Amino acid sequence: MKKPKILPDGIVIPSSTDYLADVDQYLEEKFSSAGIDASVITDLAISVSELVNNAINHGNRSDASKEVDIRFAMSPSELRIVVCDQGTGFNIDRVDDPIDDDNLLREVGRGIFIVRNFVDEINVSRSPSGGSCVEIVKKL
Amino acid sequence: MKISHREENGVMIIEPKGKIMGGPESTELHDLLHELIEQDKKSVVIDLGKVDWMNSTGLGLLISGLTTLRKSGGELKLANVTDKIQSLLTITKLVTIFKSFDTVDEAIKSF
Repeated sequence: MKKPKILPDGIVIPSSTDYLADVDQYLEEKFSSAGIDASVITDLAISVSELVNNAINHGNRSDASKEVDIRFAMSPSELRIVVCDQGTGFNIDRVDDPIDDDNLLREVGRGIFIVRNFVDEINVSRSPSGGSCVEIVKKL
Repeated sequence: MKISHREENGVMIIEPKGKIMGGPESTELHDLLHELIEQDKKSVVIDLGKVDWMNSTGLGLLISGLTTLRKSGGELKLANVTDKIQSLLTITKLVTIFKSFDTVDEAIKSF
């Protein structure tokens, strides 16, 4: 069984929700030790969990032989986190409005909406290896 | 996430602890809710006081429990909603769907 790869600036996990807790623990330790406010850490933890879930389920289509790469960069003014998958890409804008009355009781479709509410910036790009990357920026 | 449950005055109280983020443990909450419905236990309170945070998967689990219970004539209510989860319920407008109470006792009495 594959294991997460721990790096100085991130963590790479096999594409399975079994490893969501590893990502959360890794980032919480990094951000706590850097003195980031607990509430900001929670906003980021929720946001990253959404992006990693999307990368696993939509990007990599639950193919456990693929990986999800999570990297971060901190400066005194902001925190950037990039989550990359090995899939063929998806359009984060092509989702139904989760707060439309007709969609309120849907069980899925709120992830990116929540991320947008918790971070200052969200950018999507293609990774050099062909997958898609979603970058979030939180001002400190 | 860990989950315990108990019955008080005919109402099932489910108490998840930790983070609800979509990992394998999330299916435990889903399975428990559906197990209770099969056992005809249709008045359910989820005590969120010990949940650090949840993401959209957690919200989806709450909605699944609520809609399944309502379809079978039951009801799911929330208690001890933390500030972070309250803000999630507010931004997603789910605050208009769920009935929330400050304490488990108040939630039980509301049935």
